[in-house]
Amino acid sequence: MNPLAVLLTLSSVLFALGLFAVLTRRNAILVLVGIELMLNAANLNFIGFWRFGPPDPQLTGPMFVLFGIAIAAAEAAVGLAIILMVFRHTRSTNLNSSDSLHG
Amino acid sequence: MIALLILSPLILLAALGAVWKARPVHAALLLALTLSLGGALYIALGAGFLGLVQFMVYVGAVAVLIVFSLLITRPRDEVEEIARRPKSLLPGLLCTLPLLAVLLYAVGRNVPETTTEAVELPIKRIGELLFTTHAPAVLAIAILLTAVLLGAALFAREPSKKP
Repeated sequence: MNPLAVLLTLSSVLFALGLFAVLTRRNAILVLVGIELMLNAANLNFIGFWRFGPPDPQLTGPMFVLFGIAIAAAEAAVGLAIILMVFRHTRSTNLNSSDSLHG
Repeated sequence: MIALLILSPLILLAALGAVWKARPVHAALLLALTLSLGGALYIALGAGFLGLVQFMVYVGAVAVLIVFSLLITRPRDEVEEIARRPKSLLPGLLCTLPLLAVLLYAVGRNVPETTTEAVELPIKRIGELLFTTHAPAVLAIAILLTAVLLGAALFAREPSKKP
């Protein structure tokens, strides 16, 4: 069995699971959990292609992962801050309760 | 390869739990488990540095941040979440399964030839690249993280009461 195929299958299923969480969850924080799963699946692809692909002295895959992790951390921090701000207005993190743009 | 075959089902099970568990704290803790197993997979694949970064940033910061947000907001909509499930399951699957099918079809069709000899991620080379080729990107990330720090503090702080 091709190890790259196993890794790509794993990351495809992880991405689909993250998308499913984003689409079906109503708690904004758990939607963020789904987004983190999707970002992680993308990182897994970069690692897989670096590890099992042709040798790359520029280390493009691992570099992408490094920057991706930094961006993901920034995204989570801002996302949670926004969710907390919305929570202060509506006393809920349910996305259905914040469907109008006025506070 | 053996580590890959052992860790993949565990990662999938943990991710499934993170997606499916109705209790938010359980979902967040299972996300932390998924991410740490992902870090272990990175280490098994020879990218030990990235595995440690994953442990520190994802498990140490992001997952803990999510758990703390759940503690602050204390969501009590588990009963509603379980009641709503049958309604949201079908549209969710209808959107997700075609994408999964396309992805798996693409993976099954053209996976390139792979090299199987052991590769170790050279940390010294990462350092060199970060401070030469990727220096502008590092600076941009530094500015971004500063902006995020200030922005998150600004968003999350209690609004000042007017006299």
